[in-house]
Amino acid sequence: MSRHYDVIVIGAGPAGLSASSSLAELGLDVLTLDEQSRIGGQIYRNVEAAPAESLALFGKDYSAGLELTRRFRDSGAAYEDCASVWQVNPDGKLCYSRLGSSKQVSANYIIAATGAMERPMPIPGWNLPGVMGAGAANNLAKEAGLSPSGKVVLAGSGPLLLLEASLLIKKGVSIAAILETTPTRPPVPAIPRAPQALLRADFLWKGISMLRDIKKSGVPHYKGVTNIRALGQKTVEAVEAQCGEETLHLNADMLLLHFGVIPNTHIFRQMRCRMAWKPGQRYWYPACDEWGRTNHERIFAAGDGAGVSGALAAQYKGELAALEVARCLGMIPEHERDTLAAPIKKSLRNDAFPRPFIDALYAPRPEQFAFEDSTVLCRCEHVTVGDVRKVVGEGVCEVNEVKAITRCGMGPCQGRMCGPALAEVVGAELSLSPEKAGLLSIRPPLKPIPLEEIAAMDLGADSPEGANWLLDKK
Amino acid sequence: MFKDDKKNMRATVSVILDGRSVSLPEGMSVAAGLLGIGEIISRISPSSHKPCSPHCLMGVCYECLMEIDGVKRQACMTDVREGMVINRHLRTTDEPKEETHESSL
Repeated sequence: MSRHYDVIVIGAGPAGLSASSSLAELGLDVLTLDEQSRIGGQIYRNVEAAPAESLALFGKDYSAGLELTRRFRDSGAAYEDCASVWQVNPDGKLCYSRLGSSKQVSANYIIAATGAMERPMPIPGWNLPGVMGAGAANNLAKEAGLSPSGKVVLAGSGPLLLLEASLLIKKGVSIAAILETTPTRPPVPAIPRAPQALLRADFLWKGISMLRDIKKSGVPHYKGVTNIRALGQKTVEAVEAQCGEETLHLNADMLLLHFGVIPNTHIFRQMRCRMAWKPGQRYWYPACDEWGRTNHERIFAAGDGAGVSGALAAQYKGELAALEVARCLGMIPEHERDTLAAPIKKSLRNDAFPRPFIDALYAPRPEQFAFEDSTVLCRCEHVTVGDVRKVVGEGVCEVNEVKAITRCGMGPCQGRMCGPALAEVVGAELSLSPEKAGLLSIRPPLKPIPLEEIAAMDLGADSPEGANWLLDKK
Repeated sequence: MFKDDKKNMRATVSVILDGRSVSLPEGMSVAAGLLGIGEIISRISPSSHKPCSPHCLMGVCYECLMEIDGVKRQACMTDVREGMVINRHLRTTDEPKEETHESSL
Protein backbone atom coordinates (compact mmCIF):
# COMPACT_ATOMS: atom_id res chain seq x y z
CA MET A 1 0.00 0.00 0.00
CA SER A 2 1.33 3.41 -0.89
CA ARG A 3 1.85 5.47 2.20
CA HIS A 4 1.22 9.22 2.45
CA TYR A 5 3.21 11.59 4.66
CA ASP A 6 2.97 15.26 5.51
CA VAL A 7 6.56 15.75 4.41
CA ILE A 8 9.28 13.59 2.90
CA VAL A 9 12.85 14.75 3.39
CA ILE A 10 15.44 13.34 0.99
CA GLY A 11 18.88 13.21 2.55
CA ALA A 12 20.12 12.89 6.13
CA GLY A 13 23.04 15.33 6.06
CA PRO A 14 22.99 18.60 8.01
CA ALA A 15 20.13 20.14 5.98
CA GLY A 16 17.98 17.01 5.89
CA LEU A 17 18.46 16.19 9.56
CA SER A 18 17.61 19.68 10.77
CA ALA A 19 14.59 19.95 8.43
CA SER A 20 13.26 16.54 9.52
CA SER A 21 13.82 17.23 13.21
CA SER A 22 12.11 20.63 13.09
CA LEU A 23 9.07 19.23 11.28
CA ALA A 24 8.72 16.16 13.47
CA GLU A 25 9.07 18.28 16.61
CA LEU A 26 6.08 20.30 15.40
CA GLY A 27 4.08 17.09 15.28
CA LEU A 28 4.15 16.51 11.54
CA ASP A 29 4.32 13.08 9.96
CA VAL A 30 7.80 13.06 8.40
CA LEU A 31 9.69 10.41 6.45
CA THR A 32 13.45 10.87 5.99
CA LEU A 33 15.07 8.88 3.20
CA ASP A 34 18.81 8.53 2.91
CA GLU A 35 20.91 6.57 0.50
CA GLN A 36 23.57 5.67 3.03
CA SER A 37 23.27 3.13 5.80
CA ARG A 38 24.16 5.75 8.42
CA ILE A 39 22.90 9.27 8.98
CA GLY A 40 25.12 12.35 8.82
CA GLY A 41 25.61 12.91 5.10
CA GLN A 42 29.18 13.37 3.91
CA ILE A 43 30.44 15.89 6.45
CA TYR A 44 29.09 14.00 9.48
CA ARG A 45 29.57 10.55 7.93
CA ASN A 46 29.45 7.81 10.56
CA VAL A 47 29.55 10.41 13.36
CA GLU A 48 27.19 8.41 15.59
CA ALA A 49 29.55 5.42 15.65
CA ALA A 50 32.81 7.38 15.44
CA PRO A 51 35.53 6.26 17.85
CA ALA A 52 37.07 8.88 20.16
CA GLU A 53 40.26 9.21 18.09
CA SER A 54 38.22 9.94 14.98
CA LEU A 55 36.23 12.65 16.81
CA ALA A 56 39.52 14.12 18.02
CA LEU A 57 41.14 14.03 14.57
CA PHE A 58 38.26 15.65 12.72
CA GLY A 59 37.62 18.10 15.53
CA LYS A 60 34.66 20.26 16.44
CA ASP A 61 33.49 20.67 12.84
CA TYR A 62 32.81 16.92 12.82
CA SER A 63 31.62 16.24 16.36
CA ALA A 64 29.09 19.08 15.97
CA GLY A 65 27.14 16.51 13.95
CA LEU A 66 26.41 14.53 17.11
CA GLU A 67 24.06 17.22 18.31
CA LEU A 68 22.17 17.09 15.02
CA THR A 69 21.93 13.30 14.94
CA ARG A 70 20.79 13.17 18.57
CA ARG A 71 18.09 15.76 17.90
CA PHE A 72 16.96 13.79 14.86
CA ARG A 73 16.76 10.50 16.78
CA ASP A 74 14.72 12.21 19.52
CA SER A 75 12.40 13.98 17.10
CA GLY A 76 10.41 10.91 16.12
CA ALA A 77 10.83 11.41 12.39
CA ALA A 78 10.44 8.14 10.47
CA TYR A 79 13.69 7.16 8.79
CA GLU A 80 14.67 4.68 6.11
CA ASP A 81 18.36 3.98 5.60
CA CYS A 82 19.85 2.61 2.33
CA ALA A 83 16.92 4.25 0.53
CA SER A 84 17.86 5.29 -2.96
CA VAL A 85 15.30 7.67 -4.43
CA TRP A 86 14.99 7.00 -8.16
CA GLN A 87 12.06 9.14 -9.19
CA VAL A 88 10.38 12.23 -7.80
CA ASN A 89 7.28 13.86 -9.19
CA PRO A 90 6.62 17.54 -8.60
CA ASP A 91 3.17 16.61 -7.21
CA GLY A 92 4.77 14.89 -4.21
CA LYS A 93 4.97 11.24 -5.28
CA LEU A 94 8.28 9.46 -5.21
CA CYS A 95 9.80 6.02 -5.71
CA TYR A 96 12.75 4.61 -3.85
CA SER A 97 14.67 1.39 -3.83
CA ARG A 98 15.75 -0.23 -0.61
CA LEU A 99 17.57 -3.55 -0.24
CA GLY A 100 16.35 -4.89 -3.54
CA SER A 101 12.74 -3.76 -3.57
CA SER A 102 11.11 -0.53 -4.61
CA LYS A 103 8.27 1.38 -3.03
CA GLN A 104 6.13 4.35 -3.93
CA VAL A 105 5.26 6.92 -1.28
CA SER A 106 3.81 10.39 -1.41
CA ALA A 107 3.77 13.58 0.62
CA ASN A 108 2.21 17.02 0.63
CA TYR A 109 5.70 18.52 0.55
CA ILE A 110 9.14 17.22 -0.35
CA ILE A 111 12.36 18.78 0.92
CA ALA A 112 15.29 17.57 -1.18
CA ALA A 113 18.58 17.95 0.67
CA THR A 114 20.86 16.17 -1.75
CA GLY A 115 24.11 17.80 -0.68
CA ALA A 116 27.20 18.49 -2.72
CA MET A 117 29.80 16.47 -4.58
CA GLU A 118 33.40 17.14 -5.59
CA ARG A 119 33.66 18.90 -8.93
CA PRO A 120 34.85 16.22 -11.33
CA MET A 121 37.84 17.57 -13.27
CA PRO A 122 39.19 15.40 -16.08
CA ILE A 123 42.99 15.19 -16.16
CA PRO A 124 45.15 12.73 -18.07
CA GLY A 125 45.16 9.45 -16.15
CA TRP A 126 42.30 10.32 -13.77
CA ASN A 127 40.74 6.95 -14.52
CA LEU A 128 43.86 5.03 -13.39
CA PRO A 129 43.29 2.96 -10.25
CA GLY A 130 44.75 4.92 -7.36
CA VAL A 131 43.36 8.29 -8.43
CA MET A 132 40.56 9.33 -6.10
CA GLY A 133 38.71 12.32 -4.84
CA ALA A 134 40.21 13.91 -1.74
CA GLY A 135 36.69 13.66 -0.34
CA ALA A 136 36.79 9.92 -0.98
CA ALA A 137 39.88 9.59 1.23
CA ASN A 138 38.08 11.67 3.85
CA ASN A 139 35.03 9.40 3.65
CA LEU A 140 37.18 6.28 4.01
CA ALA A 141 38.81 7.73 7.12
CA LYS A 142 35.46 8.58 8.71
CA GLU A 143 33.67 5.41 7.72
CA ALA A 144 36.36 2.78 7.94
CA GLY A 145 39.38 4.31 9.69
CA LEU A 146 41.45 3.83 6.55
CA SER A 147 44.41 6.01 5.67
CA PRO A 148 46.66 5.87 2.61
CA SER A 149 49.63 3.57 3.20
CA GLY A 150 51.90 4.66 0.36
CA LYS A 151 53.07 7.99 -1.00
CA VAL A 152 50.30 10.46 -1.72
CA VAL A 153 50.07 13.50 -3.97
CA LEU A 154 47.21 15.93 -3.36
CA ALA A 155 46.25 18.12 -6.29
CA GLY A 156 43.67 20.73 -7.14
CA SER A 157 42.26 23.72 -5.38
CA GLY A 158 40.04 24.83 -2.55
CA PRO A 159 39.96 24.83 1.24
CA LEU A 160 38.94 21.16 1.43
CA LEU A 161 42.13 20.11 -0.40
CA LEU A 162 44.21 21.85 2.27
CA LEU A 163 42.01 20.47 5.03
CA GLU A 164 42.51 16.93 3.73
CA ALA A 165 46.26 17.55 3.47
CA SER A 166 46.43 18.75 7.06
CA LEU A 167 44.42 15.72 8.25
CA LEU A 168 46.73 13.30 6.43
CA ILE A 169 49.76 15.08 7.88
CA LYS A 170 48.29 14.70 11.37
CA LYS A 171 47.82 10.98 10.74
CA GLY A 172 51.44 10.65 9.65
CA VAL A 173 50.66 9.76 6.03
CA SER A 174 53.61 10.19 3.66
CA ILE A 175 52.81 13.06 1.29
CA ALA A 176 55.03 13.59 -1.76
CA ALA A 177 53.60 17.03 -2.51
CA ILE A 178 50.58 19.30 -2.52
CA LEU A 179 49.96 20.70 -5.99
CA GLU A 180 47.66 23.70 -5.81
CA THR A 181 46.23 25.03 -9.05
CA THR A 182 45.25 28.21 -7.21
CA PRO A 183 47.32 31.15 -8.54
CA THR A 184 50.26 32.28 -6.41
CA ARG A 185 48.71 35.73 -6.07
CA PRO A 186 45.04 36.07 -5.02
CA PRO A 187 42.78 36.83 -7.98
CA VAL A 188 41.62 40.46 -8.21
CA PRO A 189 37.92 39.81 -7.33
CA ALA A 190 39.00 38.28 -3.99
CA ILE A 191 40.59 41.49 -2.69
CA PRO A 192 37.51 43.73 -2.15
CA ARG A 193 35.80 40.76 -0.47
CA ALA A 194 38.53 40.27 2.13
CA PRO A 195 37.42 42.90 4.69
CA GLN A 196 34.00 41.31 5.01
CA ALA A 197 35.65 37.95 5.68
CA LEU A 198 37.51 39.54 8.59
CA LEU A 199 34.17 39.76 10.39
CA ARG A 200 34.56 36.06 10.94
CA ALA A 201 38.04 35.94 12.43
CA ASP A 202 37.35 32.45 13.83
CA PHE A 203 36.87 31.10 10.32
CA LEU A 204 40.00 32.74 8.95
CA TRP A 205 41.98 31.60 11.97
CA LYS A 206 41.09 27.99 11.13
CA GLY A 207 42.46 28.49 7.62
CA ILE A 208 45.65 30.13 8.85
CA SER A 209 46.41 27.41 11.39
CA MET A 210 45.75 24.76 8.72
CA LEU A 211 48.28 26.41 6.40
CA ARG A 212 50.74 26.70 9.27
CA ASP A 213 50.43 22.95 10.00
CA ILE A 214 51.16 22.21 6.36
CA LYS A 215 54.17 24.52 6.32
CA LYS A 216 55.54 23.10 9.57
CA SER A 217 55.33 19.55 8.21
CA GLY A 218 57.80 20.37 5.46
CA VAL A 219 55.60 18.79 2.78
CA PRO A 220 56.46 20.42 -0.57
CA HIS A 221 53.58 22.76 -1.39
CA TYR A 222 53.45 24.13 -4.94
CA LYS A 223 51.06 26.84 -6.11
CA GLY A 224 49.95 27.94 -9.54
CA VAL A 225 50.42 24.38 -10.77
CA THR A 226 49.13 23.37 -14.22
CA ASN A 227 49.10 20.28 -16.46
CA ILE A 228 48.61 17.73 -13.69
CA ARG A 229 48.71 14.15 -14.98
CA ALA A 230 48.68 10.72 -13.38
CA LEU A 231 51.12 8.21 -14.87
CA GLY A 232 51.30 4.45 -14.46
CA GLN A 233 50.71 1.08 -16.09
CA LYS A 234 48.18 -0.70 -13.89
CA THR A 235 47.87 1.83 -11.08
CA VAL A 236 49.28 5.28 -10.34
CA GLU A 237 53.08 5.24 -10.21
CA ALA A 238 53.85 8.92 -10.59
CA VAL A 239 52.31 12.36 -10.94
CA GLU A 240 53.61 15.02 -13.30
CA ALA A 241 52.80 18.71 -13.30
CA GLN A 242 54.09 22.06 -14.42
CA CYS A 243 54.95 24.76 -11.88
CA GLY A 244 56.18 27.87 -13.64
CA GLU A 245 59.29 26.83 -15.58
CA GLU A 246 59.74 23.69 -13.54
CA THR A 247 58.39 20.26 -14.54
CA LEU A 248 57.58 18.27 -11.44
CA HIS A 249 57.86 14.49 -11.46
CA LEU A 250 56.74 12.87 -8.24
CA ASN A 251 56.67 9.16 -7.50
CA ALA A 252 53.37 8.32 -5.84
CA ASP A 253 50.99 5.44 -5.14
CA MET A 254 47.93 7.61 -4.85
CA LEU A 255 46.69 10.86 -6.31
CA LEU A 256 43.91 12.64 -4.46
CA LEU A 257 42.11 15.25 -6.55
CA HIS A 258 39.91 18.06 -5.35
CA PHE A 259 38.59 20.98 -7.37
CA GLY A 260 35.96 22.39 -5.04
CA VAL A 261 32.40 21.18 -4.55
CA ILE A 262 29.24 21.64 -6.59
CA PRO A 263 25.57 20.91 -5.80
CA ASN A 264 24.23 17.43 -6.46
CA THR A 265 21.34 18.39 -8.73
CA HIS A 266 20.10 15.23 -10.48
CA ILE A 267 16.85 15.04 -8.47
CA PHE A 268 15.98 18.67 -9.22
CA ARG A 269 16.74 18.28 -12.90
CA GLN A 270 14.69 15.08 -13.14
CA MET A 271 11.73 17.05 -11.71
CA ARG A 272 12.43 19.81 -14.22
CA CYS A 273 12.99 22.37 -11.50
CA ARG A 274 14.06 25.71 -12.90
CA MET A 275 17.85 25.76 -12.70
CA ALA A 276 20.09 28.79 -12.25
CA TRP A 277 23.75 29.23 -13.14
CA LYS A 278 26.32 30.56 -10.67
CA PRO A 279 28.88 32.24 -12.91
CA GLY A 280 31.79 32.68 -10.47
CA GLN A 281 31.65 29.08 -9.28
CA ARG A 282 30.56 27.74 -12.68
CA TYR A 283 27.81 25.41 -11.45
CA TRP A 284 24.03 24.91 -11.73
CA TYR A 285 21.68 25.00 -8.75
CA PRO A 286 17.89 24.92 -8.38
CA ALA A 287 16.39 28.43 -8.33
CA CYS A 288 14.66 28.91 -4.96
CA ASP A 289 13.00 31.58 -2.88
CA GLU A 290 14.37 32.52 0.55
CA TRP A 291 12.70 29.44 2.11
CA GLY A 292 14.10 27.03 -0.44
CA ARG A 293 10.87 26.65 -2.47
CA THR A 294 11.62 25.73 -6.07
CA ASN A 295 9.36 26.67 -8.97
CA HIS A 296 7.27 23.65 -7.97
CA GLU A 297 4.94 24.62 -5.11
CA ARG A 298 5.48 21.35 -3.19
CA ILE A 299 9.19 20.90 -3.75
CA PHE A 300 11.82 22.55 -1.57
CA ALA A 301 15.60 22.46 -1.85
CA ALA A 302 17.80 22.79 1.23
CA GLY A 303 21.49 22.63 2.01
CA ASP A 304 24.43 22.42 -0.34
CA GLY A 305 22.28 20.78 -3.02
CA ALA A 306 20.65 24.19 -3.41
CA GLY A 307 24.01 26.03 -3.62
CA VAL A 308 27.26 25.30 -1.83
CA SER A 309 27.66 27.19 1.44
CA GLY A 310 28.88 24.63 3.97
CA ALA A 311 27.51 22.46 6.77
CA LEU A 312 26.30 25.17 9.14
CA ALA A 313 24.50 27.11 6.42
CA ALA A 314 22.98 23.83 5.24
CA GLN A 315 21.58 23.23 8.70
CA TYR A 316 20.07 26.73 8.79
CA LYS A 317 18.58 26.33 5.32
CA GLY A 318 17.03 23.03 6.39
CA GLU A 319 15.36 24.76 9.32
CA LEU A 320 14.07 27.62 7.17
CA ALA A 321 12.54 25.20 4.65
CA ALA A 322 10.92 23.31 7.52
CA LEU A 323 9.38 26.51 8.94
CA GLU A 324 7.80 27.47 5.64
CA VAL A 325 6.52 23.92 5.05
CA ALA A 326 5.04 23.94 8.58
CA ARG A 327 3.29 27.21 7.77
CA CYS A 328 1.92 25.82 4.51
CA LEU A 329 0.57 22.80 6.40
CA GLY A 330 -1.17 25.06 8.91
CA MET A 331 1.01 24.12 11.88
CA ILE A 332 2.27 27.64 12.54
CA PRO A 333 0.92 31.03 11.47
CA GLU A 334 2.98 33.34 9.31
CA HIS A 335 4.02 35.64 12.16
CA GLU A 336 5.32 32.69 14.16
CA ARG A 337 7.26 31.42 11.17
CA ASP A 338 8.86 34.85 10.85
CA THR A 339 9.65 35.09 14.56
CA LEU A 340 11.26 31.67 14.54
CA ALA A 341 13.09 32.35 11.28
CA ALA A 342 14.61 35.69 12.31
CA PRO A 343 17.48 34.34 14.46
CA ILE A 344 18.19 31.57 11.92
CA LYS A 345 18.41 34.08 9.09
CA LYS A 346 20.77 36.16 11.20
CA SER A 347 23.02 33.13 11.84
CA LEU A 348 22.92 32.31 8.14
CA ARG A 349 24.07 35.83 7.25
CA ASN A 350 26.81 35.70 9.87
CA ASP A 351 28.00 32.34 8.57
CA ALA A 352 28.13 33.69 5.02
CA PHE A 353 30.56 36.59 5.70
CA PRO A 354 33.77 34.80 4.62
CA ARG A 355 32.09 32.93 1.75
CA PRO A 356 32.47 35.54 -1.05
CA PHE A 357 36.19 35.87 -0.24
CA ILE A 358 36.79 32.09 -0.17
CA ASP A 359 34.69 31.64 -3.33
CA ALA A 360 36.66 34.32 -5.19
CA LEU A 361 39.99 33.01 -3.91
CA TYR A 362 39.37 29.48 -5.15
CA ALA A 363 37.06 30.24 -8.08
CA PRO A 364 37.52 27.82 -10.98
CA ARG A 365 39.29 29.56 -13.85
CA PRO A 366 38.26 29.00 -17.49
CA GLU A 367 41.84 28.01 -18.44
CA GLN A 368 41.55 25.03 -16.09
CA PHE A 369 39.11 23.53 -18.57
CA ALA A 370 41.50 23.67 -21.52
CA PHE A 371 41.77 19.89 -21.56
CA GLU A 372 43.95 17.80 -23.87
CA ASP A 373 42.14 15.98 -26.68
CA SER A 374 43.23 12.58 -25.43
CA THR A 375 41.91 13.09 -21.88
CA VAL A 376 38.98 10.84 -21.00
CA LEU A 377 35.94 13.02 -20.33
CA CYS A 378 33.24 10.40 -19.81
CA ARG A 379 34.70 7.63 -17.67
CA CYS A 380 31.69 5.30 -18.00
CA GLU A 381 31.58 5.29 -21.79
CA HIS A 382 35.25 6.11 -22.42
CA VAL A 383 34.59 9.24 -24.48
CA THR A 384 37.54 11.63 -24.83
CA VAL A 385 37.58 15.42 -24.94
CA GLY A 386 38.69 15.09 -28.57
CA ASP A 387 35.63 12.96 -29.43
CA VAL A 388 33.40 15.75 -28.12
CA ARG A 389 35.36 18.53 -29.85
CA LYS A 390 35.06 16.64 -33.12
CA VAL A 391 31.24 16.56 -33.07
CA VAL A 392 31.08 20.17 -31.93
CA GLY A 393 33.30 20.99 -34.91
CA GLU A 394 30.75 19.25 -37.10
CA GLY A 395 28.04 21.64 -35.98
CA VAL A 396 26.59 20.16 -32.78
CA CYS A 397 26.09 22.88 -30.20
CA GLU A 398 24.14 21.44 -27.28
CA VAL A 399 25.25 18.90 -24.65
CA ASN A 400 22.26 16.55 -25.10
CA GLU A 401 23.00 16.29 -28.80
CA VAL A 402 26.63 15.57 -28.01
CA LYS A 403 25.43 12.87 -25.63
CA ALA A 404 23.22 11.25 -28.25
CA ILE A 405 26.07 11.12 -30.77
CA THR A 406 29.09 10.28 -28.59
CA ARG A 407 27.43 8.49 -25.60
CA CYS A 408 29.16 11.01 -23.30
CA GLY A 409 26.98 11.02 -20.17
CA MET A 410 25.03 7.90 -21.10
CA GLY A 411 26.73 5.43 -18.74
CA PRO A 412 25.68 4.28 -15.28
CA CYS A 413 26.70 7.54 -13.54
CA GLN A 414 24.28 9.36 -15.87
CA GLY A 415 26.52 12.33 -16.48
CA ARG A 416 27.35 13.01 -12.85
CA MET A 417 31.08 12.71 -13.54
CA CYS A 418 31.30 14.23 -17.03
CA GLY A 419 28.36 16.68 -17.19
CA PRO A 420 30.09 19.78 -15.79
CA ALA A 421 33.27 19.34 -17.85
CA LEU A 422 31.25 18.43 -20.96
CA ALA A 423 29.50 21.81 -20.81
CA GLU A 424 32.88 23.50 -20.37
CA VAL A 425 34.30 21.75 -23.44
CA VAL A 426 31.29 22.45 -25.64
CA GLY A 427 31.10 26.06 -24.41
CA ALA A 428 34.80 26.67 -25.02
CA GLU A 429 34.62 25.23 -28.55
CA LEU A 430 31.75 27.59 -29.36
CA SER A 431 33.31 30.53 -27.47
CA LEU A 432 30.26 30.61 -25.21
CA SER A 433 29.84 30.52 -21.46
CA PRO A 434 29.26 26.85 -20.44
CA GLU A 435 25.68 27.51 -19.35
CA LYS A 436 24.82 28.29 -22.96
CA ALA A 437 25.86 24.77 -23.94
CA GLY A 438 22.85 23.39 -22.06
CA LEU A 439 22.41 20.94 -19.23
CA LEU A 440 22.10 17.16 -19.65
CA SER A 441 18.45 16.08 -19.33
CA ILE A 442 17.96 13.73 -16.42
CA ARG A 443 15.31 11.05 -16.58
CA PRO A 444 14.15 8.46 -14.09
CA PRO A 445 15.41 6.14 -12.74
CA LEU A 446 17.92 8.46 -11.08
CA LYS A 447 19.97 5.41 -10.14
CA PRO A 448 20.13 2.24 -12.22
CA ILE A 449 17.80 -0.43 -10.81
CA PRO A 450 16.80 -3.82 -12.20
CA LEU A 451 13.65 -3.79 -14.35
CA GLU A 452 12.28 -6.70 -12.35
CA GLU A 453 12.35 -4.47 -9.27
CA ILE A 454 10.06 -1.97 -10.97
CA ALA A 455 7.82 -4.76 -12.22
CA ALA A 456 7.47 -6.17 -8.72
CA MET A 457 6.75 -2.77 -7.20
CA ASP A 458 3.78 -2.27 -4.91
CA LEU A 459 2.06 0.81 -6.27
CA GLY A 460 -0.88 0.74 -3.87
CA ALA A 461 -4.16 -0.82 -5.02
CA ASP A 462 -6.00 2.28 -3.82
CA SER A 463 -4.57 4.39 -6.57
CA PRO A 464 -6.93 4.49 -9.56
CA GLU A 465 -4.28 5.70 -11.95
CA GLY A 466 -2.02 2.77 -11.07
CA ALA A 467 1.42 3.19 -12.49
CA ASN A 468 0.47 5.62 -15.24
CA TRP A 469 2.18 8.51 -13.52
CA LEU A 470 5.48 6.69 -13.93
CA LEU A 471 5.23 7.42 -17.62
CA ASP A 472 6.80 10.64 -18.70
CA LYS A 473 3.86 12.86 -19.60
CA LYS A 474 5.80 15.79 -20.95
CA MET B 1 47.21 1.26 -0.77
CA PHE B 2 45.35 1.79 2.51
CA LYS B 3 46.02 0.81 6.06
CA ASP B 4 43.34 0.23 8.63
CA ASP B 5 43.94 2.22 11.81
CA LYS B 6 42.17 -0.43 13.90
CA LYS B 7 42.83 -3.52 11.87
CA ASN B 8 43.03 -6.09 14.66
CA MET B 9 40.21 -4.64 16.71
CA ARG B 10 37.36 -5.10 14.25
CA ALA B 11 34.73 -7.81 14.10
CA THR B 12 34.79 -9.46 10.70
CA VAL B 13 32.34 -11.38 8.58
CA SER B 14 33.15 -13.78 5.79
CA VAL B 15 32.05 -13.13 2.25
CA ILE B 16 32.69 -14.88 -1.07
CA LEU B 17 34.85 -12.63 -3.25
CA ASP B 18 35.27 -13.86 -6.82
CA GLY B 19 34.74 -17.43 -5.67
CA ARG B 20 37.01 -17.46 -2.63
CA SER B 21 36.19 -16.84 0.99
CA VAL B 22 37.61 -13.66 2.53
CA SER B 23 37.07 -11.79 5.80
CA LEU B 24 35.85 -8.22 5.65
CA PRO B 25 35.36 -5.88 8.58
CA GLU B 26 31.80 -5.40 9.71
CA GLY B 27 30.00 -2.05 9.80
CA MET B 28 31.33 -0.50 6.61
CA SER B 29 30.66 -0.51 2.91
CA VAL B 30 31.87 -3.27 0.60
CA ALA B 31 34.05 -0.70 -1.20
CA ALA B 32 35.77 0.43 2.01
CA GLY B 33 36.11 -3.16 3.21
CA LEU B 34 37.79 -4.26 -0.02
CA LEU B 35 40.13 -1.24 -0.12
CA GLY B 36 41.09 -2.04 3.48
CA ILE B 37 42.30 -5.53 2.51
CA GLY B 38 44.19 -4.26 -0.54
CA GLU B 39 41.62 -5.16 -3.19
CA ILE B 40 41.68 -1.86 -5.01
CA ILE B 41 40.33 -2.98 -8.39
CA SER B 42 36.56 -2.82 -8.41
CA ARG B 43 35.72 -3.88 -11.95
CA ILE B 44 36.88 -3.92 -15.55
CA SER B 45 35.36 -1.01 -17.46
CA PRO B 46 33.01 -2.40 -20.11
CA SER B 47 33.95 0.50 -22.41
CA SER B 48 37.74 0.84 -22.03
CA HIS B 49 38.32 -2.77 -20.85
CA LYS B 50 40.73 -1.38 -18.26
CA PRO B 51 40.61 -1.93 -14.50
CA CYS B 52 38.82 0.67 -12.38
CA SER B 53 39.05 1.56 -8.71
CA PRO B 54 36.50 3.41 -6.58
CA HIS B 55 36.81 7.16 -7.12
CA CYS B 56 34.24 9.08 -5.05
CA LEU B 57 33.15 6.70 -2.26
CA MET B 58 29.83 8.55 -2.03
CA GLY B 59 27.61 7.05 -4.70
CA VAL B 60 28.35 9.44 -7.54
CA CYS B 61 30.96 7.91 -9.87
CA TYR B 62 29.73 4.30 -10.31
CA GLU B 63 33.31 3.07 -10.65
CA CYS B 64 32.72 0.60 -7.82
CA LEU B 65 29.81 -1.17 -9.53
CA MET B 66 30.12 -4.88 -8.86
CA GLU B 67 27.85 -7.87 -8.78
CA ILE B 68 26.70 -8.26 -5.20
CA ASP B 69 24.34 -11.14 -4.46
CA GLY B 70 23.49 -11.36 -8.14
CA VAL B 71 22.73 -7.69 -8.82
CA LYS B 72 25.08 -4.94 -9.98
CA ARG B 73 25.36 -2.53 -7.08
CA GLN B 74 27.51 0.36 -6.00
CA ALA B 75 29.92 -1.21 -3.52
CA CYS B 76 30.31 2.10 -1.70
CA MET B 77 26.57 2.22 -0.99
CA THR B 78 26.23 -1.42 0.09
CA ASP B 79 27.17 -2.56 3.59
CA VAL B 80 29.20 -5.70 4.16
CA ARG B 81 27.07 -8.63 5.35
CA GLU B 82 27.90 -12.20 6.35
CA GLY B 83 27.70 -14.62 3.45
CA MET B 84 27.57 -11.93 0.77
CA VAL B 85 28.58 -13.12 -2.71
CA ILE B 86 30.66 -10.51 -4.53
CA ASN B 87 31.76 -10.96 -8.13
CA ARG B 88 33.93 -8.38 -9.82
CA HIS B 89 34.44 -10.29 -13.09
CA LEU B 90 38.04 -9.14 -13.26
CA ARG B 91 39.01 -11.58 -15.99
CA THR B 92 37.01 -11.56 -19.19
CA THR B 93 36.51 -15.33 -18.81
CA ASP B 94 34.60 -14.51 -15.62
CA GLU B 95 31.86 -12.76 -17.56
CA PRO B 96 28.48 -14.39 -17.00
CA LYS B 97 27.25 -16.32 -20.02
CA GLU B 98 23.74 -15.01 -19.72
CA GLU B 99 23.64 -11.30 -19.10
CA THR B 100 20.74 -11.60 -16.72
CA HIS B 101 21.53 -8.40 -14.91
CA GLU B 102 22.01 -6.28 -17.95
CA SER B 103 18.31 -5.62 -17.87
CA SER B 104 18.78 -2.80 -15.40
CA LEU B 105 17.80 0.57 -16.78
